[in-house]
Parts: sequence; structure tokens; C-alpha cells
Amino acid sequence: MQCRNVLTRIDALRTRELAPIEKTAVEQHLRTCRSCDESQADVDDLVHAVKSLSLVPPVSCRDAVKENIADSFDRVGDTWVAFANGRIRMIAEADSIDDIRQPYAKKYGRVLEPATIPAALRRQVLAAVGGEGVESPKVDLDAANDLEHDVLQTLTRIPRGEVRTYAWVARQAGRPRAVRAVANVIARNAVPYVVPCHRVVPSSGGIGNYIFGSATKRALLEREGVDVDELDALAKEHVRYIGSRTTHIFCFPTCRDAKRIQEKNRIPFRDSDDALENGYRPCRHCQPVAA
Amino acid sequence: MKNSWTGGEVVAQPAAQPDSGELAVAVHRCEPGAFERLIDRFEQPLFTYAHGILQNAFDAQEVVQDAMMRAHKALTRQYDEARCAALALRPWLFKTVRNLCLNKRRSKRSSLEQPLESFDDGRLGPFVSLEGSDLERKEEVELLRRAMALLPVDARELIVLRFMEEMSYAEIAKTVGSTEAALRGKVFRSLKLLRDALEQKGVAYAM
Repeated sequence: MQCRNVLTRIDALRTRELAPIEKTAVEQHLRTCRSCDESQADVDDLVHAVKSLSLVPPVSCRDAVKENIADSFDRVGDTWVAFANGRIRMIAEADSIDDIRQPYAKKYGRVLEPATIPAALRRQVLAAVGGEGVESPKVDLDAANDLEHDVLQTLTRIPRGEVRTYAWVARQAGRPRAVRAVANVIARNAVPYVVPCHRVVPSSGGIGNYIFGSATKRALLEREGVDVDELDALAKEHVRYIGSRTTHIFCFPTCRDAKRIQEKNRIPFRDSDDALENGYRPCRHCQPVAA
Repeated sequence: MKNSWTGGEVVAQPAAQPDSGELAVAVHRCEPGAFERLIDRFEQPLFTYAHGILQNAFDAQEVVQDAMMRAHKALTRQYDEARCAALALRPWLFKTVRNLCLNKRRSKRSSLEQPLESFDDGRLGPFVSLEGSDLERKEEVELLRRAMALLPVDARELIVLRFMEEMSYAEIAKTVGSTEAALRGKVFRSLKLLRDALEQKGVAYAM
């Protein structure tokens, strides 16, 4: 082995990173070549000296990083609530907060630290979970994309005690043809109860699915005053809208105006074209068809 | 790696840090305190490295913080668990810092290399061994630091990775994107440059 080949391997020899055959060759050379042997000692010295140069950052980035990656959580009733900047970011039901950390990080890219939730948020969550409804929920939609933003905003406009269809939400959110995509957004709602995704049902009747199960959805709706049994009965008859013979207006069956129609004046419609052809106009409150 | 000179024997790798994959997975799973552990463990070496490239504490700190946030995002949102488990965390973090440093350097290239004239070496004595008084030690460290500042940036970064961070050649190859054989030569030349820089101050190394 030549000196120049040996010199570049002295350092690797030091940390035993040479293949056995190379190691033998280098060691053999060092025994016979005095100048290379001295170099070895010098490399050792220099390497030893360089270690003293390691630096400590003047300020640890720990706090700054943490501020940028951490949100807070608290227990409210039976739910875990994650919040940041005075707004709710996620409501979840789980035995342990540890079950929520990963989905939360996936969605928001942030970790959760325990903290005390502001009283206003706590009241909102308790009211929403308790079925009292929330007027203007403090929900953080900053991380939502345009579609999610529009859909979740639309959901907050569905009044307590009423239900709307996925198609209706899609239309109101300005994406009438994207019903499936809108339904997916509703299914991924991070703040159930407060943003009332449980008030959305399939156009075909029935009450559909829910993150906490259909039974919970049914119970939630019944608690809010929705007559779920009647909805089921109407669905069996394929009735989607209720009209009034006196005003010639038709509504969703759960619309507060539809509930005021007297039994003798109620007229069921299977689809909106049927109603429109008979000279009925859509209700301005529940907007069963596009205005 | 095939090496014609040795007949192509595979070089034995020193074991990677055993828990680095576990730490990445812990961060991925958002285990409480996992990311703090990562920061505590890597902040100082990453800062030393960034400072080695940039020669500026403020910029180095900014880069390290940025790298930490990127690492967190990647580990929690972008990589799945299998990828985190297979990740060589240390070279990956160093590579992130390296890329950010090079971006920063590119944006302010001019004033980085310290000119020779800025060295006043009148009061610095010759390089003595590490077993000296505190004062001697301080001077010697200062001398080394100045000598380091004289080196080209790629030599500096290799000295940091190899001798301060004590990375294996395999890890350095992953970090800077080169081969082990090429790096052996580069590391030796970097040491030689450092020796030359020290020699200007009257410290002689044979090599």
C-alpha cells in the first residue's frame, strides 16, 4: 500500500471502519513507514483537539418550537376538547387523550398539552353535547380548506330540531354536484355536536351514519325534538317534502314552517318537480330547492 | 460498497444509534414528551453543525428551529409508521439542517468566509496539549476556532460531522450525499487544511 492510500485510511482505521483486508494492509504499512506512523499520532491529536469546539446554542429552540407545534386540551364532560387561540379545534370521545394525539397530529400537525379550557368554550361544548344547541360556535376553521370551510359553515346554519340532506348541504355550500365529497367532509367533522353534522341525513330517507353510530345520531336528533319515527314513515312512502294547501309552499318535513301546517292542509310530495308543477313554491326558510 | 483496491469486501458498519428509529416512531405516535426528547438530544449537535457551515450563531439557531419544525411535520403528518421505524434519524436531521444552511448561504453568500486579515495572532502562543491550564485551553480552543473559520465550508462541515459529531463514514455519506471512499479522502484533506491553517499560527503537525 502506498503512503497516500494509507493516510486517507488512518482515520477510518481509528474507528474500525475498514474492511479486514484493508485494515491489515494499513497496519502493516504503519509498522514499516515512520512518517505515516507519525501522521497517525498527529491525526489523533488534532481529532482530540477539535472535539473541544462543539457549541451550545445561546437559547434553546425548545420553547419556540413548542409554541409552534403545541395546542391545548381539556376534559369537558365525557369528551376531550382540543383548542387553540380561544377556538375549538377538535372534540373527540375516547378513554384516553393518547388515543386522540395521533389523529390530531395527522390533521393539524400539532401535539396536545393539558390546559384549562376557557369558560366560554366549556359552556359551548356542554351546551352542544347536552343537546341545547349553540348559536355561533367558536370553532377554528383556519386549517380547513375551502370546501371544508364552506361545508362546516353551512352545517352551523341548520337549526336545532331540523334536518337537511347531504344534497342540500352541497348546494348551500356552493357545490351542488359534489355531494359525495361534501358528505366525506361532513363525515370527517372534527368538532361533532358543536358543528351539528348529526343534522344531515340522506335524501333517500332514514337518518344515515354517524361517527358515534346511528343509534347515537337518532338519540341526538330525538333529544333536539326531531320526530325520527315520522321521518322513517315518510321515507317508506318516498315522501321528501310537505306542502301546504293554503299557502302553496313546500318544505322539508322537519322545517319549522312545515310543522305549523294543519293536518288537513298537509300535502306530501315525492319530489320537487312534482311540487313545482302543481304550482307550489319552495319555502324560503328551509330552501328545499335552489332559490 | 465495491472497492477495487481491497477486492470488494464489504466494510463492517458500526451499529447505528439503537433507539433512533424508536424515537422517530414515538414522535410519529405523538407520545407525550417524545419530540422534546428529540430536541434535547439533537439540538446541540445540529446547532454545532449549522454553525460550522454558516459561522453565525443567529442564523444557525434559526436553521435548527426551522429544521425541528420540518422534522415534526414530516414525522407526524407525512411519513407512515413503517417509514419512521426505518428512518436513520441522525443523518436525516443533519441533512435537513444542511439543506437549510445551504439555502441560507446561497441567499447571502458574500460575507461568510472570514478574511485572513481579521486574524490577530500576536497574543496567541503555540498549540499546546489539551492538558494545560484553563487559560491555555481557552487560547487553544480560540486558535482552533479561528483556524476552522479559515477552511472552505465543505471541509468545515466534514470536520464537524466526523470529529465532533463522530459520525461513521456511512452516516456522513447519507448526510452529504457522497460515497464512503470519496469521503475518506475528503476528510483527510480537510484535516490537512486545518493543520495548514494552524501552522500559520506556529503549530506544527507533520501529517
